[in-house]
Amino acid sequence: MSGAADQAPVLEVDGLQAHFRTRYFGVNREVRAVDGVSFTVRRNEIYGLAGESSSGKTTLVKTIAGLLKPPLEMVGGSARFSFLPEWDAVGRAPPEVVRGIRWRHLSYIMQGSMNVLNPLRRIRYSFRDFAWRHLGGSKSEFDARAEAHLERVKLDPSVLDAYPHELSGGMRQRVTIALATICKPEFIIADEPTTALDVIVQKDVLAMLRSIQREMGSSVLFITHDMGVHAALTDRLGIMYAGRLVEDGETAEIFAQPLHPYTRHLIASLPRIGDTEQREGLEGTPPNLAEPPPGCRFHPRCPLAMPICATTVPAMVATMPGHRVACHAVNPGMAA
Amino acid sequence: MSALLELDRVSKNFSRGGLFSTQRVEAVKEVSFALQTDKPEIFTVIGESGSGKSTLARMVLGIHAPSSGSIRLAGRDVAAYERQAFMAEVQPIFQNPFEAFNPLKQLDRYLFMTAERFGGASGKAAAQGQADEALRQVGLSLAEIAGRFPHELSGGQLQRVAIARALVAKPRLIVADEPVSMVDASLRMSIVNLFGRLRNDLGLSIIYITHDLATAYYISDRLIIMRKGVVVEEGPARAVLSAPMHPYSRQLRDAVLTPDSAGAFRAGHSLKAVAEPGASS
Amino acid sequence: MLTILRDLLRYNIEFRIGLVLVSIVLVMAALSLVAPYPPGDVYLVPPDLPPSSAHWLGTTSRGQDVFWQLTFAIRNTLSFGIMVALLSRVIALVVGLLAGYSGGWIDRVLMSINDTFIIIPLFPILILFYFVLRDTMSTPLLATIMACLGWAYDARLIRSVALSLKTREFTQTSIFSGMKTHEILAREHLPYVMPIVFSTTMNNMNWSIGIEVTLAVLGFTDINTPTIGGMIYWANQHTALVAGIWWWIAFPVGLVVMTFVGLFLLAVSMNEYIDPRSRLARMGGSR
Repeated sequence: MSGAADQAPVLEVDGLQAHFRTRYFGVNREVRAVDGVSFTVRRNEIYGLAGESSSGKTTLVKTIAGLLKPPLEMVGGSARFSFLPEWDAVGRAPPEVVRGIRWRHLSYIMQGSMNVLNPLRRIRYSFRDFAWRHLGGSKSEFDARAEAHLERVKLDPSVLDAYPHELSGGMRQRVTIALATICKPEFIIADEPTTALDVIVQKDVLAMLRSIQREMGSSVLFITHDMGVHAALTDRLGIMYAGRLVEDGETAEIFAQPLHPYTRHLIASLPRIGDTEQREGLEGTPPNLAEPPPGCRFHPRCPLAMPICATTVPAMVATMPGHRVACHAVNPGMAA
Repeated sequence: MSALLELDRVSKNFSRGGLFSTQRVEAVKEVSFALQTDKPEIFTVIGESGSGKSTLARMVLGIHAPSSGSIRLAGRDVAAYERQAFMAEVQPIFQNPFEAFNPLKQLDRYLFMTAERFGGASGKAAAQGQADEALRQVGLSLAEIAGRFPHELSGGQLQRVAIARALVAKPRLIVADEPVSMVDASLRMSIVNLFGRLRNDLGLSIIYITHDLATAYYISDRLIIMRKGVVVEEGPARAVLSAPMHPYSRQLRDAVLTPDSAGAFRAGHSLKAVAEPGASS
Repeated sequence: MLTILRDLLRYNIEFRIGLVLVSIVLVMAALSLVAPYPPGDVYLVPPDLPPSSAHWLGTTSRGQDVFWQLTFAIRNTLSFGIMVALLSRVIALVVGLLAGYSGGWIDRVLMSINDTFIIIPLFPILILFYFVLRDTMSTPLLATIMACLGWAYDARLIRSVALSLKTREFTQTSIFSGMKTHEILAREHLPYVMPIVFSTTMNNMNWSIGIEVTLAVLGFTDINTPTIGGMIYWANQHTALVAGIWWWIAFPVGLVVMTFVGLFLLAVSMNEYIDPRSRLARMGGSR
């Protein structure tokens, strides 16, 4: 399944912690949005990050990409890229270094990306603004490269002469993806790129992303709450809950045999066409990350909760090769 | 058999533009369907953005008036109803649970107000009783909600409070516009199941508007599929979604990704050409 | 409310300074109640004396103690400013909320009236009123006229907030909960509009005091009621600066500048506290 992926990791995240620290008007709050996450992304693979709102997945990728602005601070751990070996996190590298890797080695497709294009300028100028300084050459050389790239990703080059508002949402998102990949970066972070799109358009955009990834051999970190998209698109998958990674492994394996109670619930609760089996929602609500529950953060809602779950944080253990879970019920006696 | 809600060739046009150039947008074109009084059902309207489903919902709620055609509630035209009397029969649920209530105000206020204006409650104690009863039907209680502000609850809880508020008015019809699309996946099914219970136990009819075919399959009785303002297919929910006939319905159905779609984009898997010329992308 | 004030005092230097300045001004105004000399009388004390221990801010050429005169002046000027601000807030709120929420022809009519008031040139009209009303022109009358001229800008601001609030879903929830229009405006929308009302109140006060001072200096108001502008007017009449009686001009000007700056700082700091976005911006970034 993942035979094409090299074993050397492009991204190695180890014990990453990022908190929102608010100290204003006498209010001292620390929201532990990402609390000890470790995983790796290999070459030539799409790694999906799944989780609901307040799971911390967007904060996690912002930290990995070095987009840290107060009150968000990286408080521990590392997120090392293979193309930036001297720094253990992009956030800790000086600005000139970071500028050098953006777009060339690392690009970031944010949520609501289709709105990132300057509405007052034609697409061509947005391309020049973003990517010309990295690719060099004269203006006409760059334009030729831009057109070649667009053709390669099956977009009509005439799109370059349009204004953003003349294109539909799906087209804009495809243009944004083309823009993010024109410098052939080794690592692409895509944060919910298709969430606001119609289902039919979503399929086209995902197909485009997959074919670009395959052609360039890059790695993609794909964030979405939609489990169906993960099943269809990703090679490996990590499930986040309340700032921690609870399960991680090959996508097909996770869907075939989910181990963590939260993952099992996520997959089982989704209705499918052609199937009228009764599905249930989960009791309770995601925890408040300013005062998270001690031990395993899922234990208040977990059907398998045991006394140890309330006191000890479960360790992320490889129950089977390549398939890790952090759960006392699955891996008894393993504390973090 | 009298009709609870009847739409007869309802259309809605908007004109956009200024003094010199106006464009007419036909948001809804000749939509007709009917819900019966003695057969409570969940009637689903499926459509993507731009299909006109939200405009249709607002017309049923009486917020917009149709440009042509008629909408009748229990035999009377919607426009003929006195606004308060209409709202006692038809209540909405909106997409964004975080926007449904004023972030600066407490939640129970809305429940009490609805109880006093529509539920016939004559005083604080009666209003509290009605609010508590409605909250219990959605799996919450007044003790949990009293004095709370919207930011203290999750999306799923807020949406349930919104449903409870609608129930306090004891309506005959609820119009739910994408009620679960902004609710977390793990909490979604509780609300969808709740709709089923409201239909079965309280005899409520619900117009469920969504773009999610899976929940539509799961909970609806009948459905219509809209595209660019026109109904392209209609019928019993399971039958239509299992074997759609219209090319657009088929396209929609094929584009749905579920946990069973593993490997849809993997090497060796043929991707059918999805976009047809003139499609909305 | 008290916790807000306490937090502002502790953490916000602009608020502290503003509060100190405004307190000084208010204390001066309050002292007018215990003034030993009646405000309208002249030649009560030896004229043209520089500041000393007997007369803290000196005396004027008309034989009045500058300090005690100033207490009356600032009291009258302040109350004028407050009157104008309050009246014009009420008009701006009613017009803005109603126009924004109702839309349609009500909105068009109200905004046409609004725009008319915006472009009316202020000074010519006020001078016209003065010449027409002359002797009957009193401070309350002037205040009413200015309130009627000073609501238009802010009504538009309020209207734009009301317009955006109308499209938010909780407005529909309120409608379907049975609330009538006036209830929605007063209870649901008003809290969103209050930050604007509050900061524009301070600005409005500054504006109206400024106009009053200008008019008084030119002699277009009731110059027998002591106001800041009135004092400056009399000082000019007696060519105080040329004669070297600098204290007659300096102290009123200083006090009114203190008022402006204090009110401005208060408005800015309280507004910043109330508005959550500016709070985050100050911390260096939002999520």
